[in-house]
Amino acid sequence: MAFYEENPRHITKADIIVAIPSFNEAETIARTTEQAAKGLVEFFGDRKSVLINCDNHSTDGTKEAFFAAHGDIPGIYLSTPPDNRGKGNNLRNLFEKVRELETEIVVVLEADVKNVSPQWIRKLGEPIAKGSGYVCPLYVRHKYEAPLTNSIVYPLTRCLYGRRVRQPNAGDFGFKGQLVDTFLDSPVWTESMRNFGVDIWMTTIALNARMPISQSFIGSPKVHRTKDPYAQLVVLFRQIMGTIFDMMPVYANFWRQVKWSKPTALFGMDNLDVDTPLPVEVNVSRLHERFLQGFDKYSSAWQQVYDQTVFHKLQEIRSLGLQHFSFPTQTWTRILFDAAATYQRLGEQERANLLDSLLPLYLGKVLSFVKKTERMSIQQAEEYVENECMVFEENKPHLVKIWE
Amino acid sequence: MPKILVVDDEEHIRLLYSEELKEAGYEVITAESGYKLLERIEDEKPDLVILDIKMVDYNGLDILQDIRNQFYDLPVILSTAYDTFKEDMKSIAADFYVVKSFDLTELKKKIAMALETRLPT
Repeated sequence: MAFYEENPRHITKADIIVAIPSFNEAETIARTTEQAAKGLVEFFGDRKSVLINCDNHSTDGTKEAFFAAHGDIPGIYLSTPPDNRGKGNNLRNLFEKVRELETEIVVVLEADVKNVSPQWIRKLGEPIAKGSGYVCPLYVRHKYEAPLTNSIVYPLTRCLYGRRVRQPNAGDFGFKGQLVDTFLDSPVWTESMRNFGVDIWMTTIALNARMPISQSFIGSPKVHRTKDPYAQLVVLFRQIMGTIFDMMPVYANFWRQVKWSKPTALFGMDNLDVDTPLPVEVNVSRLHERFLQGFDKYSSAWQQVYDQTVFHKLQEIRSLGLQHFSFPTQTWTRILFDAAATYQRLGEQERANLLDSLLPLYLGKVLSFVKKTERMSIQQAEEYVENECMVFEENKPHLVKIWE
Repeated sequence: MPKILVVDDEEHIRLLYSEELKEAGYEVITAESGYKLLERIEDEKPDLVILDIKMVDYNGLDILQDIRNQFYDLPVILSTAYDTFKEDMKSIAADFYVVKSFDLTELKKKIAMALETRLPT
């Protein structure tokens, strides 16, 4: 049960919920709420709808902005205690509320999305009404957007659980209400999962719940508050990777049997007006520098985790210099698999060290991707990612072997 | 013996695929268009579908959407003369694609992979 709740219309049942997690989002939550309310009226007008703001005890007037904007759709405000931050904690309050209201369809939207429209509610809600268990969005993305998804989260999740979900850690999604019991029963409820890791945590659970998963084509890029990609990189990387690795033993009996991968159903292909994503600038020198700095700091750690072949390959990559830089996917796959298996044998602090030591290697892989795809169209870069996924899948027997 | 449904409006392609895939140990049935294809799949229960993208009266990518929505895990391999179809997002609902050729080595490899894809229930 939430630490604090306001339910002014005393709602006790809802067919569909649109939930907006927040922490100090007074500036943006009103627009998101208005668009969500319009979407609920336009596309789910015959159902009992509720808007829920799952908040982290904001002090900037988020709650007031939310209640001022929800239109004719009833609103509920839930909050964690003041010192209990993180989207995962917000969503836990939501799950409990979904169970209480016996809700069939749940859509979650991030509060700071500037271009959310009523159509997003249809695109994330309708597949659930038609039988999907979980819906991930497919935003239009520039080839250099979401590098962590391209280099790790998508290929690794696909290779492990056998389903091709292209943007599995997106912050906006839809799910069937009955999944909340599975979420609440999850044995993984870590600090990482409560923060940046929560989106991939949910998708992983849904993939293992064996419910049909859909991807819904949004048709536009996701425009949200500009963030410095380096500002939170260490924490973000550690939490997302930690969550992925923490989930692996839970579902090992499943993923060890998975061979290759399968596509998902697609939704939202009826309106194919596609926006062009804004270009993303990448500072290749900085990526290269961070990769090289990794040798000074983590050489001995790498030698403990990875075998001689991998370590020699890393030295060879270092010797290439920026102009000819290339990080083979085969080596990258091996590094991730070895790191995942080693992680399971370590204590908490050692795990954090391992993830930190993986970060410069990841930045090297991103640099390699940028260089390989610099003359490619978005479509060609997308094919490049698909080919990298095949390398992950081809090498999966190595992971299964070292896991045992 | 795995059953493969070949959907293509070109007769020589249907014949080529039928003969070669039968020789490779598959049972093959064919359809010359997307007409009542979902009913056919329901009745015949193929293990895999090879689907032409550009047929005279049907768009294979639209048929792919329908197949994926109704038969969630049925493997579908897109078969096409040109690979420009990849610009259409709908193509990602396919398991694999092949560019049409008289050498079916690549197709047979993709069929084997699609049939051995395993997601435990």
